[in-house]
Amino acid sequence: MTAPLAATRLRSLTAKQAAVTVAVVLALSLVGSFAELFIAWRNTRDEVRAQATQMMETVDGSAVEAAYQLNGDLARQVVVGLVGYEVVDEARIVDNFGDTLGLTERTRDRSAWAGLADRLFGDVTVYSRTLERRRGDGASTDVGRLDIQLSPQAVARNFLDMAMVNAGLGLLRSLAIVALVVGIFYTMITRPLVRMSRLVSRVDPDHPGAALIPTLAGHAHDELGVLVASLNALLGSSQQGLDQRDRAQGELTALTQDLERRVAERTRELEAASEEIHSLNRMLKAENLRMGAELDVSRRIQQMLLPTETELAQIHGLDVATFMEPASEVGGDYYDILQAGDGRLRIGIGDVTGHGLESGVVMLMTQSAVRTLVTSDEGDAVRLLDVLNRTIYKNVERMGSDKNLTLALLDYRPDAPEGEHGIAGHVRVSGQHESIIVVRQGGKVELIDTMDLGLPIGLVDDVKDFVAEITILLHPGDAVVLYTDGITEAADSAHNLYGLERLCQVVAEHWQDNAEAIKEAVVADVRRHIGGQALYDDLTLIVLKQG
Amino acid sequence: MHMETVIKGDNYTVEWDAESRAAHLKGILRLNGLDEYGPIARFLSAAVSEGNMVLDLRNLEFLNSSGIAMLSKFVIEIRNRKVVDLTVLGSKEVSWQGKSLVNLCKLMPTLRMEII
Repeated sequence: MTAPLAATRLRSLTAKQAAVTVAVVLALSLVGSFAELFIAWRNTRDEVRAQATQMMETVDGSAVEAAYQLNGDLARQVVVGLVGYEVVDEARIVDNFGDTLGLTERTRDRSAWAGLADRLFGDVTVYSRTLERRRGDGASTDVGRLDIQLSPQAVARNFLDMAMVNAGLGLLRSLAIVALVVGIFYTMITRPLVRMSRLVSRVDPDHPGAALIPTLAGHAHDELGVLVASLNALLGSSQQGLDQRDRAQGELTALTQDLERRVAERTRELEAASEEIHSLNRMLKAENLRMGAELDVSRRIQQMLLPTETELAQIHGLDVATFMEPASEVGGDYYDILQAGDGRLRIGIGDVTGHGLESGVVMLMTQSAVRTLVTSDEGDAVRLLDVLNRTIYKNVERMGSDKNLTLALLDYRPDAPEGEHGIAGHVRVSGQHESIIVVRQGGKVELIDTMDLGLPIGLVDDVKDFVAEITILLHPGDAVVLYTDGITEAADSAHNLYGLERLCQVVAEHWQDNAEAIKEAVVADVRRHIGGQALYDDLTLIVLKQG
Repeated sequence: MHMETVIKGDNYTVEWDAESRAAHLKGILRLNGLDEYGPIARFLSAAVSEGNMVLDLRNLEFLNSSGIAMLSKFVIEIRNRKVVDLTVLGSKEVSWQGKSLVNLCKLMPTLRMEII
């Protein structure tokens, strides 16, 4: 592919060289030849003049004699003799009267060169010599004239012959010089350069170091040698560069592949993680739904077994008001009011630990158990709470649960114990729960601590040792308030708790009101305190007003 | 011999100091149910096999009902072992502790309670 190009280059470089050399040399030799010709022409003219003069000198004696003697024959001899020279065209001797004594002419054909000859030498072809006869005493007499006319053509022919020979030789010399110069230049410079050019053009750009240029013979130490060395150095470093590039590319490819592999791995890991996240999400959503459903069930269980309005309306003798507001995450509050005949009431209030379905179930169990025991008319607090505790404890254990509950049981009778006067009713209290608030006439508040009346139900297997009972005597107008810690621990936006003190305060303020009014006052106050906050625990309130 | 010396959670730590034979419960414990309290329950049970033991609750800012249940069962277990002398340290400053610590005392009459 590159060879034809080299060939074209080859021709044009050498040809250019040759053409230029030829042109220059020829131009120079042309100029030289012209100069030579000019000089030769000048020389020829001088020669002609000299020759003419010489000729006339030679015949001077005879011509003088002829003219002096008016000797026509002699004159003729002379002129014929003169015309014997090739170059002479006409010779004439003229006496001093102007008469021709002798004349010879040569007829010559005018050749094609005649015009040129005339121009070149026309002006040196006519000579005239005054014939002077010298007397013995040195005086000379003018006796006549000798005229000769040379042939320009003859002169020119000699001249031209010589000129052509010179020109021919000159041309040959020029050509020889041209050939030599071109040849030498070609050998010494053009050919090595062309060869190098061919070698360089054969270099594969992808493997420049594969074919270094061999040293040019004879040029190891000159500029061409330096050029070769430089080119080779260039090819070498270019090859190095390419090698480095290839290495770098290789490394880059390896890194890229490694990176791709790691990215793929990471992507797989992320996809797996994402899968996991999605699956966890699905599980959470399901769990959420389940818990939501559980809470609904729990709330329903709670509500199902609360004493109804109808039941409460049937209570006489004791003014009872109840309030229960379940929290959003149902808290497991329990209360119950069971009528045991003759105005006797069995009241229970309690709070199951934790939230959710389990708490609701424990509450349900408790309600059933309490009702069972009350219906069986178990009057002994210790026995009642012992049986209740064992029942709940065992069931909770079976459930694998840790739930337990506070539980206070109140046994109200609308009469006075033996020996008491002015008492309209009395309550026997057992079981551990929050304090019981008793508000007396005039708004005096008593707090009954239930810590020593029992233990949380379901916490330990045997509570007999911990159950005790106390009796609260009620005068007319006294009130008993039962609550769960949802009320005392109700928080506002700044996490301030409602508190037992505040509860007592409100109850005391309304000591004169009926149970419903006292209940409403407390509920309103608690609601006011909570503000817009959500409920975290059930609110349960029972107000008993002794009439 | 106690293998672990620390349980660390999101808002709480349970540390065992072998020299003073004290378990320090610090922070806020609101774990969900007895199951989640398992590690702490086991940690406390394994603390001593006999001799005296201190349960330091002074820096336990909050303990939920499941946690109180767990402590109650722990106290009952210690009571039943009969060979461990338990001292409980509590703080008046911490609200939940009043009632519950009283109950713990009831569960184990020989329990020494120090409320600061």
